Amino acid sequence: MLTAGPAKKVILYVGEDHKYHGQSLYSAILNFLFYRGISGASVIRGIAGFGADHHLHTTRIERLTENLPIKIEFVESAEKVEELLPKLYEMVGTGLIEVQDTTVVKPSQASAQVSQVPVAPAKKIEGKAKLMRIFVGENDKWRDMPLHRALIESMRANDIAGVTVYQGIVGYGANRRIHKDTKLNLSHDRPMMLSVIDTEEKLRAYFPILDSMVQQGLVVLSDVDIIKYSHNIAGEQRGR
Amino acid sequence: MKIEGSAKMLRVHFGEDDKWNDKPLYRAIVEKCRELDIAGATVFRGIEGYGASTLIRRPHHLSFSHDAPVMVTVIDSDDKIQKLLPILDQMVAEGLIAISDVEVIKYSHQDGMRS
Repeated sequence: MLTAGPAKKVILYVGEDHKYHGQSLYSAILNFLFYRGISGASVIRGIAGFGADHHLHTTRIERLTENLPIKIEFVESAEKVEELLPKLYEMVGTGLIEVQDTTVVKPSQASAQVSQVPVAPAKKIEGKAKLMRIFVGENDKWRDMPLHRALIESMRANDIAGVTVYQGIVGYGANRRIHKDTKLNLSHDRPMMLSVIDTEEKLRAYFPILDSMVQQGLVVLSDVDIIKYSHNIAGEQRGR
Repeated sequence: MKIEGSAKMLRVHFGEDDKWNDKPLYRAIVEKCRELDIAGATVFRGIEGYGASTLIRRPHHLSFSHDAPVMVTVIDSDDKIQKLLPILDQMVAEGLIAISDVEVIKYSHQDGMRS
């Protein structure tokens, strides 16, 4: 958590249209910062600018979608910045990263904190791995967000290899309340199961974050053998 | 009730239309689990599948006769699962029951919520 005194200010310059794994780059970066427990970050959209490619990006051109400059700023301790930089470096692509020395005069008020665990960047997983199943309710919330969605985003931000959410039709858990999908009732609280597969150390490193997010539910771990884990690097070539 | 450490996960696969005493089998199993004080049970509906009968189960959105594949997942300690097994065996006329090892990482509810 940020305290008064010397700190680092990190500014990332990217384009609004830049993508990272299919989502917009700036929101991917913001998500990453959010789920890694950064005290705060701001995204500022420029009205004109140019970068390394010497292309002038401006709103004046009669196009609604112009690759406008985006500035993402956050202030953190030097150690935390050091820890996040490699991943940011990878994410930002052609963009620019700048780090300045700064002084925090007054830290912003912190709300509930998220535990921070350094997690190694994604790599290929093979052979023995772990399958983690998380059972929660559809209406469970984490900071006003559906819990299952927040979990997916936080796993993505923590480089977990993959997660799939299944929606159950009936079930009950620790609180003995039956969660049921009643067809004539829109306010359903169906059981949800997230199935997560990664190496044991990656999953164990993620436990503290998971623990802080899941207030009620069941989390179990079992052994699996990875037979195949591959993705299409070229991405959009799938249909060829 | 508290389950911790190593436990068992039992999965039962059958069809959504399967009945037990005129009640949907999946609902009957969930109720039976509750009766036996099993830690939890969840029913999932598949979108397509086939099983022992090699009949492809596929839900049809435009018809009322959908016999989608259904899976019930139950997690509890080994002895609880062993207690449940003979009962399930009797209830599930046609289907598959499988057991696997799991390690419980967290099992909590609101009452036991940490501050």
